[in-house]
Amino acid sequence: MNLSTTPLSPPLSAPLSSATISMMLADARLPVGGHVHSAGLEPALSGGMPAAQVPGYMLGRVRTVTLVEAGTAVVARHVAVQGTGQGVFGAAQLAVALATVDRAWAARTPSRAVRDVSRSLARGYQRLAGTLWAEHPAVVASALGSTPPGPTLSRPVLLGVIAAAAGLDAESLVRLVVYDDAQTIAAAMLKLEPLDPAIPPGWVLAACAAAEEFVTDLAALTSADAIPAWGAPESEGWAEAHSRTTQRLFRA
Amino acid sequence: MLENSTPSSSAPARSLRIGVAGPVGTGKSSLIATVCRALAAELRLGVITNDIYTDEDARFLRSAGVLEPERIRAVETGACPHTAIRDDITVNLLAVEDLERDFNPLDVVLIESGGDNLTATFSPALVDAQIFVLDVAGGGDVARKGGPGIARADLLVVNKTDLAPYVGVDVPAMVADAETAREGRQVLALSRSDAASVETLAAWVRGLLVEHRAGTHTPQDPGPMAPHFHADEEGGPGLLHSHDETEHVHDGEPAHTHH
Ligand SMILES: Nc1nc2c(ncn2[C@@H]2O[C@H](COP(=O)(O)OP(=O)(O)O)[C@@H](O)[C@H]2O)c(=O)[nH]1
Ligand SMILES: [Mg+2]
Ligand SMILES: [Zn+2]
Ligand SMILES: [Zn+2]
Ligand SMILES: [Zn+2]
Repeated sequence: MNLSTTPLSPPLSAPLSSATISMMLADARLPVGGHVHSAGLEPALSGGMPAAQVPGYMLGRVRTVTLVEAGTAVVARHVAVQGTGQGVFGAAQLAVALATVDRAWAARTPSRAVRDVSRSLARGYQRLAGTLWAEHPAVVASALGSTPPGPTLSRPVLLGVIAAAAGLDAESLVRLVVYDDAQTIAAAMLKLEPLDPAIPPGWVLAACAAAEEFVTDLAALTSADAIPAWGAPESEGWAEAHSRTTQRLFRA
Repeated sequence: MLENSTPSSSAPARSLRIGVAGPVGTGKSSLIATVCRALAAELRLGVITNDIYTDEDARFLRSAGVLEPERIRAVETGACPHTAIRDDITVNLLAVEDLERDFNPLDVVLIESGGDNLTATFSPALVDAQIFVLDVAGGGDVARKGGPGIARADLLVVNKTDLAPYVGVDVPAMVADAETAREGRQVLALSRSDAASVETLAAWVRGLLVEHRAGTHTPQDPGPMAPHFHADEEGGPGLLHSHDETEHVHDGEPAHTHH
């Protein structure tokens, strides 16, 4: 069986729709290691947040850290599209531009544990991107900036790179980031505090609805300076504590 | 040191990756400790553990003092130990690559699965070969009952043979049953207190490494999981499910598929 050595690249001549790319990237079955993450839910519950507050936790993220993630992804996408579309940047310059976006994200993500987890998750996406869009200049540039043991790029920057490579529009990218965060919490909830599994999907849709008012503005961002800078300090404290525990189902 | 393992200047050397699977408590961590104790002086080793709920296996192995603690790393599995070694091996692959990079060159990386009943097997995209571990305390019938790991892992270990007199198990009969279920594939009756059996295990690893380096070893897939219970994984009585491409249910999880 030599399937593993002959990856099939998506055809560039027949562009895929943003809807298709979104579905694939939002699918929990996508093999990027997402199943070991709970979007901060396990740290929150271990930190004492009552399970009844999970819907509120989800909405809280929509108005804070998810804005940072989505804004970062959009600006990374913009940089990647600009840098490749007009052929103005070489891979090295593009890597520098992506690193600038990454630094803006890091400055808005004070918890080291949260940053580490994002970078480790990004490596799963890097692997996927390097297989599916190996030749794309933004993917090549992102790999330059992601050589372990040096700092690897964060997950939202990688999502922006993939959006540029795959042809995902900026608004869809924002909605993807929002949905993925909420759905990660919903799926982890069923393992941590089991309940009727038909209920959490309603929370996910409520979170997505709550994000709609931000979508247009976030999708229009082009500068790293303009990425929102909301924080969730209690959640970050939980993440820090979780990174030091020896009892966890989820990485974070 | 074995020959032909000169460090390369740039790209980390690709180690021989060996998976260790089998039910909880059969002695996977202990077997890894035994292999390390037997081979650490002649081979450069690394270990990855996949615990279900803690990093206890990694801590146990570090405290066994058989390997530098930095060479033993734990990955989380999100309560899906079977997923992390078979369908979405991303976190394990990254962990192996990190070890190979940080301790370049490594000869062998041993990966312990988070015990998932009788059924979890490793993807050949993650490991070059796998050991499936049973113990005599599980009863003499287990080997005959079969399953993909028992039937088709590269090596089946019947562990803790020193306990056989206490649990009333006839080891030669259990081994013979296993050999039948495996259509002749290798079965090793092991006890960490039986030096000859430990040496046979070490020799198996050495032989595999020679084949791996010669490019004559081809990773085999033992096959997908059979339907099983998850009594230990999520607590409470488990629902019968399987881990093939079809939809199935875990306790408290919606029906889902793993690819
Ligand atoms: N008597 C005996 N006990 C063993 C042997 N190997 C492991 N054990 C014990 O079996 C128990 C489970 O071993 P462990 O390696 O943690 O199993 P794992 O859950 O499969 O990793 C521990 O108490 C070990 O000390 C053996 O060869 N003989
Ligand atoms: Mg163990
Ligand atoms: Zn599962
Ligand atoms: Zn299972
Ligand atoms: Zn499953």
